[in-house]
Amino acid sequence: MKTFKRLTYPYILWIAAMIVIPMLLIVLYALTKQGNDVATLQFTLENFIRFFTDVDFLSTLWISLKIAFLTTILCILIGYPIAYLIANSKPKQRNLYILLITLPMWINMLVRTYAWIGILSDNGLINYVLQLLGFEPQKLLYTDFAVVLGMVYNFIPFMILQIESSLAKLDNSLLDAANDLGADRFHRFMKVTLPLSLPGVISGITLVFLPAVSSFVIPKLMGGGGYMLIGNVIENQFITVGEWNFGSAISMIMACIIMISMYITRKLDKSDDAMARKRGKA
Amino acid sequence: MEMNEAKRLIEFKNIVKDFDGQIVLKGISLDIYENEFVTLLGPSGCGKTTLLRILAGFLKQNEGRVIFDGEEISDLPPYKRELNTVFQKYALFPHMNVYENIAFGLKIKKMSKDVIEQKVMKMLKLINLEGFEQRNVTLLSGGQQQRIAIARALVNEPKVLLLDEPLAALDLKLRKEMQYELKRIQQEVGITFIYVTHDQEEALTMSDKIVVMKDGEIQQVGSPTDIYNEPQNRYVANFIGESNIIPGIMLEDKRVRFDDIDFDCVDVGFKEHEPVDVVIRPEDLDIVAQDSGKMNGVVKSVLFKGVHYEIMVETVPGTTVSVKMNVTKEHDVASSDAKERISANHFFVDLEDVKELNDAEIIARADAQAWDPENDEYLSISKIEYELKEEVGNYPVTFSTAGGTAVTVNIMVVEQKYVENPKKNEAISAFNFFKSVDEIKESVALDTDLKTWANAQGWKLSDESIVEIEDVEYDFDPDTISPGVYQVTFSTKGRVFKVHTTDMSEEGAEIALNFYPEDIHVMSKIGY
Amino acid sequence: MNRRKLLRRFLLGAILLFFYFPILYMLIFSFNDSRSLTSFDGFSLRWYEKMLHDPNMLEAIYYTLVTAVIATVVSTAVGTITAIGLSKSRRIVREVVSQINNLPIMNPEIVTAVGFMLFYVSLRIEKGFLTMLLAHIAFCIPYVILSVMPKLRSLDDNLAEAAMDLGATPWQAMTKVIVPQILPGIISGALIAFTMSFDDFTISYFVTGNGVKNISTLVWTMSKRINPSINALSTIIVLMITITLLLVNLLPIIKEKTKTKTNRISKHATGIVALCFALFITGGLYWLKSGTKSQMSSEDAIARFGSDTLKIYNVGEYIDPEINTAFEAQYGVKIIYDTFDSNELMYTKLQGGERYDILVPSDYMIERLLKEEFLQPLNHDQIPNIINLAEPLNALSYDPDHIYSVPYFWGTVGIVYNKNNVDIEDLEKEGYNIFKNQKYKGHIYMYDSERDSFMMALKALGYSMNTDYEDQLREAYEWLKEAVSTMEPEIVTDEVIDAMANGNKDMALVYSGDATYILSENEDMGYFMPKEGTNLWSDAMVIPKNAPNPKLANEYINFILEYENSMKNTEFVGYASTNDEVLEECSGSEGIYADNEAYLPRTGYEKDEIFHYNEKSRKLISELWTKVKIAK
Repeated sequence: MKTFKRLTYPYILWIAAMIVIPMLLIVLYALTKQGNDVATLQFTLENFIRFFTDVDFLSTLWISLKIAFLTTILCILIGYPIAYLIANSKPKQRNLYILLITLPMWINMLVRTYAWIGILSDNGLINYVLQLLGFEPQKLLYTDFAVVLGMVYNFIPFMILQIESSLAKLDNSLLDAANDLGADRFHRFMKVTLPLSLPGVISGITLVFLPAVSSFVIPKLMGGGGYMLIGNVIENQFITVGEWNFGSAISMIMACIIMISMYITRKLDKSDDAMARKRGKA
Repeated sequence: MEMNEAKRLIEFKNIVKDFDGQIVLKGISLDIYENEFVTLLGPSGCGKTTLLRILAGFLKQNEGRVIFDGEEISDLPPYKRELNTVFQKYALFPHMNVYENIAFGLKIKKMSKDVIEQKVMKMLKLINLEGFEQRNVTLLSGGQQQRIAIARALVNEPKVLLLDEPLAALDLKLRKEMQYELKRIQQEVGITFIYVTHDQEEALTMSDKIVVMKDGEIQQVGSPTDIYNEPQNRYVANFIGESNIIPGIMLEDKRVRFDDIDFDCVDVGFKEHEPVDVVIRPEDLDIVAQDSGKMNGVVKSVLFKGVHYEIMVETVPGTTVSVKMNVTKEHDVASSDAKERISANHFFVDLEDVKELNDAEIIARADAQAWDPENDEYLSISKIEYELKEEVGNYPVTFSTAGGTAVTVNIMVVEQKYVENPKKNEAISAFNFFKSVDEIKESVALDTDLKTWANAQGWKLSDESIVEIEDVEYDFDPDTISPGVYQVTFSTKGRVFKVHTTDMSEEGAEIALNFYPEDIHVMSKIGY
Repeated sequence: MNRRKLLRRFLLGAILLFFYFPILYMLIFSFNDSRSLTSFDGFSLRWYEKMLHDPNMLEAIYYTLVTAVIATVVSTAVGTITAIGLSKSRRIVREVVSQINNLPIMNPEIVTAVGFMLFYVSLRIEKGFLTMLLAHIAFCIPYVILSVMPKLRSLDDNLAEAAMDLGATPWQAMTKVIVPQILPGIISGALIAFTMSFDDFTISYFVTGNGVKNISTLVWTMSKRINPSINALSTIIVLMITITLLLVNLLPIIKEKTKTKTNRISKHATGIVALCFALFITGGLYWLKSGTKSQMSSEDAIARFGSDTLKIYNVGEYIDPEINTAFEAQYGVKIIYDTFDSNELMYTKLQGGERYDILVPSDYMIERLLKEEFLQPLNHDQIPNIINLAEPLNALSYDPDHIYSVPYFWGTVGIVYNKNNVDIEDLEKEGYNIFKNQKYKGHIYMYDSERDSFMMALKALGYSMNTDYEDQLREAYEWLKEAVSTMEPEIVTDEVIDAMANGNKDMALVYSGDATYILSENEDMGYFMPKEGTNLWSDAMVIPKNAPNPKLANEYINFILEYENSMKNTEFVGYASTNDEVLEECSGSEGIYADNEAYLPRTGYEKDEIFHYNEKSRKLISELWTKVKIAK
């Protein structure tokens, strides 16, 4: 099938130019000193050393991971029951719910997040209602709470959809079998439903954790101008400070962290549920 | 019978079930005894699986009661019922290995580890899969998965094992093996098996008792031999084994008439002149020399089936109509520059059908074609002119291409006669037609083409449903045909008997069929 | 059973409310008559009107749509073709390509974005529409491939062979047999590509330039201020998407219904609907496009100035857009107007090789640009209005004779405070140190600007804000760190303006021009300039050496300095005008800023300083400030 094989050649050239070279450039910048040009390349590990020896950068990284982790956990805790309910609805309702959950994802993320500002701000809707009810107004916007809320709001549909599709794929006869063998609702859920929906949870985790750890838009909008997560540090290095080499180094570090965590989740997924996958395919 | 000794274990009492208003079970009542191998047999949609799922507790009936061991269990959830199920596609838990799958029910019951291990090992031995404990269930063969599913159910020591088409997903050879295996396991553990299948052979092989179901109703309950030899109606006879079923009339006790011949039989208890169905199993028919049997006939086809021959014998011919085929020379018209050629045939049409003719229909019926002789590519017919009246007569029709090449033929409107055969409740009609030598020579499927060209049709007189035209006969050799008029005869299928015999017969041989009075089984008509 | 049903309804209802409430809220308040986001003061379409008259917004919608449509079409075609090719390729090729293909999906968006940016900069490709489009195509294709591949995998391997065996050419085999089979995958791939492109922010943010913005990047620049036009814009986006989705979801139903007739009719109907939709979109785009274009003839401009475009790079929300419109009309030219958040950002872009005709940097940055020889001298013959400049601006240390720069706005930095909650005596006594007074803990804003924060700290410690002694800077860092860690301040950028106008907190360090706005919105607020001195700053218009159209740039500078335009600008923006006459009139008893103590900058006070550029301290300050923020 020579003819068809040839169809890939243009794209191979394209990815070489548009994907591989940019990635290599990041590595190159990360490993060189600022102000170099091609003629006087000077390789150095300074950028990495600077990052790993500075408590402040490390703590930002730590906070970013913590916030992303919290977001992911919340997405699972809220998303799983919702996905479970949807997967157990009648087909017509199920399709409607899925449409309703997908719909907001079509709307620009910035726009959706911006909408929260009016609700959360000091004189926003929630505080207005609180005051009407006689409570003290609370500081909501520009807090960790707001950042996590913004992330959960933006990323939870991914989690719900992933879990839902793995639950919907679940063979009903397995549930019947569990019942038949003496498992009541609770045992059936713990021993069959939950373990078999784990692949959905895991792909949901990657879809939530990944953007949560690297986002710089949500922290800036919901956390305020001074709120720094690792994504903001990168943005700052490139846009404001202009230290592209250092920025590239941080980007590389982040990409590595992501790749490693993806690799680990993949591994987990494989050892636990490769069988489920295979079954699903057959 | 021995049923007096056996204990009644399960009673279905007038079970009714509907799904969204569609009734699937129409009041089923059925008793099942201890240690029985019971098969629920019927085509898909007959309600057999629904009944099984009601028993297992996955569904709840709308009306009626299910009594298990003397107690009403309709409100008991599945996990509290003393029965287990083997599912159609096994439903093994993919995230557990063989051992964990089998131990599942025991673990739920919180049995101690060593007891579980003991029981699981015993089961693995029963199903001949020792040493498979740690295997991944998804990587096992279908037969092995099947056996594990059975072990997983049996390890809980249920009083009843429900099997929902458990062999449907296996290939033929494995299915046969598993049939014996299942029967062996049932005899060894000595509990009731309720087995759902649509495969009559499976049912006959394994069961103590067969329940034939159709459209949510039980048709017959009985042992395999009862069901095979004494089907209660046409439906059961058809479903169980192969049979010849002929409508007849019961003249008096032990005397039945079909196909205008009176026969002795052994059946009694019908009203005089009651319309009945007569069953004769193919293996009960013998082929003998002409005039020395009960019915004369012609051998229509012989198929070798391995152990025996399956021979179709026609005892009464079908309804026949003959038409004339006018074979002409080439009649295509060439354009002046010889770049295009066009051809068409005269054709006949029934007066009644005139109003249904349209351009496309006329092109098809006239078989109008235009082509480029250089490269044999077809050209489209761009214009068609005709004037038709709903009166008998000849009407010219002209087909032309975009290039202006045209051919004119006649549409002959006639009042078509058809042949009626009230005895067989059918009629047949066909038209005379025109064809060129080449068209006949070029035909790849001449019988089908002849039917199309003659517009041959058969139908039932009662409801005008289509009757297949079985035979096309003609007296010419299509390879050497020359212009002229030929006769073509179309006929419907007559009375055909299927015969299973080890003796070979020649196709076309004139023979007779013989059988004994006890080979005839008379059933009342269904729809009573 | 019933209780379970109720619980289920409740949970699903709650989550849907969570999803839709913000959107609904935004929708409703886009019709609000006032700026407020909490009280609905009557129905009005003013924000829609404002949006439709804002060329930036229309242009952003146009660029977003055009990019999304082109990126979708190209990536769907390329992705499908590649996927088909891959499915027939050797295993190793397939594995490698799909691994690389996964990179943009697996990588954090910001890393991909940074990669693109470095790529373009290395190739010296000017950032703009083309760079954005290419980047969008690049990150859309992987998604198309990903959604087409599974469909191909489930396809019978012999389909293409069968088609070719029956006489189809490879192309026909692909278009007539394979593509129809995998169409659902292609369509969902195209849909994903469209949303990805339509919604993209991160990548666009790093790869556009030259005034090309999509909706996301525009919202980003506007989002710091409460701006109900964003709500209007969002409402329109929501509407567009809902209509599209409804059409996509309804079409199959309509098809189903018309099926009862003949197939031909339903095909026609679908065709007509699709055609109408296409026409509607093209028409809309054309209208938007024409709406953004100058209607004047540009031939004169080309004859006089050599080009009919003027590229300006200014601070965000720092001009009355009508001035640009007027200039465009008068000169028959088109202005490409780009904005930046900070001087550093602007500098980074210049370094990246971007070319502008006019920049509006601050004093110290002008000093730096001069030192690094980025600027060209102005042509004073073209700028007769220079004589209108206010007196204090004629002796600015970085360019006293206005050879390279003409001041645009100027002012001071001071403390805006709530007169009811902050004791003026505390302010007078403590000056900047009030930002460490526990009495006001939790009630202060700090401005996210390294220079101004360090100015505050250095002044509070009694040092010059231009110091380059490292120990003084470190001392200032400690001062800031202490303030940040003990006072629970909120570090903000332009959000501070609306926040203080609303009276959310009691104190903030603010630029005088923004203070002018706050004071005019909220009577309780006062403006205080500490006796330790402050930053007397000025932003000025300069022309870079590599400006494509310096002649037109000089003309523009002169235009800005005209009385009428200066007046318009200061009224709109609120910063102190550099036009003597305008300044006097506005601050005079009849002027619009008559009683506004923040408008007129303090002049002649010895402790007030102008920022100077110092490479060494700049780096240190920037690093220390990042650490201050992180320390929070």
